[in-house]
Amino acid sequence: MSARLRNILLWIVALAVLILIPFVVEDRYFMHIAVMAGIFTILTLSWNLLAGYTGQLNLGHAAFYGIGAYTSAILAMQTGLSPWLGLFAGGLVAAVFGLMLGFPALRLSGPYLAITTIGFAEILRLVAMNWVDLTRGSLGLSGVPLLTPIKIGDFTMQFYFERDYYYVVVAGVLFTLFCIRRLIGSEFGVTLQAMRDDEAGAQSIGINPSSYKLAVFTISAFFAGFAGGLFAHFARLVSPELLALHNTFDILTMAMIGGLGTIAGPILGAVSLTILSEALRSMEEVLKIDIRLIVYGLLLILTILFMREGLVGVIKNVWARVKGDR
Amino acid sequence: MGAILTTDRLTKNFGGLTAVNDVSFSLEQGEILGLIGPNGAGKTTLINLISGAFPPSKGTITFEGRDITRDKAHTVNTLGIARTFQVVRIFSRLTALENVLAAMVDRKHKGPWSLVWDSFFRRACALTEDKESCATADSLLDFVGISKYRDEQAGNMPYALTKRLEIARALATQPKLLLLDEPSSGLNPAELTGQIDLIQKINAQGTSILIIEHVMKVIMGISHRLIVLHYGEKIAEGEPEKVYNDPLVVEAYLGGDSDAQH
Ligand SMILES: Nc1ncnc2c1ncn2[C@@H]1O[C@H](COP(=O)(O)OP(=O)(O)OP(=O)(O)O)[C@@H](O)[C@H]1O
Ligand SMILES: [Mg+2]
Repeated sequence: MSARLRNILLWIVALAVLILIPFVVEDRYFMHIAVMAGIFTILTLSWNLLAGYTGQLNLGHAAFYGIGAYTSAILAMQTGLSPWLGLFAGGLVAAVFGLMLGFPALRLSGPYLAITTIGFAEILRLVAMNWVDLTRGSLGLSGVPLLTPIKIGDFTMQFYFERDYYYVVVAGVLFTLFCIRRLIGSEFGVTLQAMRDDEAGAQSIGINPSSYKLAVFTISAFFAGFAGGLFAHFARLVSPELLALHNTFDILTMAMIGGLGTIAGPILGAVSLTILSEALRSMEEVLKIDIRLIVYGLLLILTILFMREGLVGVIKNVWARVKGDR
Repeated sequence: MGAILTTDRLTKNFGGLTAVNDVSFSLEQGEILGLIGPNGAGKTTLINLISGAFPPSKGTITFEGRDITRDKAHTVNTLGIARTFQVVRIFSRLTALENVLAAMVDRKHKGPWSLVWDSFFRRACALTEDKESCATADSLLDFVGISKYRDEQAGNMPYALTKRLEIARALATQPKLLLLDEPSSGLNPAELTGQIDLIQKINAQGTSILIIEHVMKVIMGISHRLIVLHYGEKIAEGEPEKVYNDPLVVEAYLGGDSDAQH
């Protein structure tokens, strides 16, 4: 069987499983978790595009998530724009902010960049807290409209239950995945990886690092904003908390544990940690301590110490050993 | 034939240290110009200045009649100057083939956004599926003799061969002038002969070359002319044999802790 054919089959199987999951597990709570896993998959994929493929540590990613959520919510509530368009509008506005953050970020690296991006997100969070007329401050915007029904012939698809959003989010993840795979596999992606491996070497073959960094900041922010829009219409509540640092920390942990600089890594990391975090939530109620952060921190340290390439690296190694045994 | 590259009174200060001091020279079209001098003489700094890694403190650089003194490294490359590094700077997590492919992107006409566009809307977007670029990259790997490592991560290649990969990568940008910083360091005698052949083959295709080299066998064998730097200053220039026997040059090498190999 050719590699291409095997790939196509693999995709078909994966897609079929994804479509069938809601029929097997009908639990609404589980579907809720699945939607959040999907949203965080998009966030982690987009964060990883910047960190894993260009080596820039953006600790303000949650700001783009929040901007997308607010934009899509406010447009739907105040102008009546279709939430479907709002998702992309949220991405575009976040992209503009990404470009804005990209400019100062060009002159900074390492800890300076990290701190600047934290500051950026923190400032925007404060704006969201205090621009009460627009955002209703710390109360947040509640009653964000649902995604509007889609009519195909006689059949109308409603977006009401978790399960409906599950399909939207799966489509969103696939859309993101498709775009990022195309980008990484192209001349653009090779350019990014060249810069990450050796910036002076990259310049010596005609690459202008600044312009590429700006482009990646913008694209990365777009997808985070898109994820924010998905969240807004799903949760129907948008609050300044979305822009908080702990969300970025979750994203970072997911990417690191899954495998930085890979495409499968962020997906693995986001899905497994979202599930883990729900499991820990029930323990928290018993133990009455914030055990989730402790576990995340520990996992992060263990990953850095013992499995630099994350879950993807572990799977690769195991696979190689299994193959070697035969 | 006219000069392709000219420097005029080029000077570079690092704090109190003058690494390159008032250096003027020309490189003729099609020439192999050797650049020698004891350790710390300022040879690498001179190549860094020409390639735009940092600007000079004083003086000018002219390439094909155009003032490139203040141009950044990436601009200098698109104008037609490629370089290698004394300590290799390859893309270690990319394969050898991808290292070369990365250098083949048409950056003269395409910025990041048009490459983003391409990745969605050009049919043969996926790098390794673009047969034509792959064929060109393959022929370059073959040309420098590392085809065997085509799909190997560059970081896992033997050091001596990464020097060749750097040359292939530089050639992939189709330079008119190639700056080589000690391409033969760390090679064994058998590899040295191969390296000389390779450099001469590149030159035979019409590429002008500026080469820094400590290995005398290499530099004497291939240079049409030599320049000698000592404490940042140009102390001799001319035919290899003459320069080699110039008393000033002999003294520079004997005086300093020379590691010239005969
Ligand atoms: N970026 C820099 N900052 C400060 N000093 C530098 C820098 N680059 C080079 N120097 C200094 O400039 C002088 C010339 O260095 P350069 O690397 O150009 O010498 P070289 O002729 O290439 O020597 P070698 O044969 O050892 O490679 C040295 O004293 C070096 O320490
Ligand atoms: Mg040097």
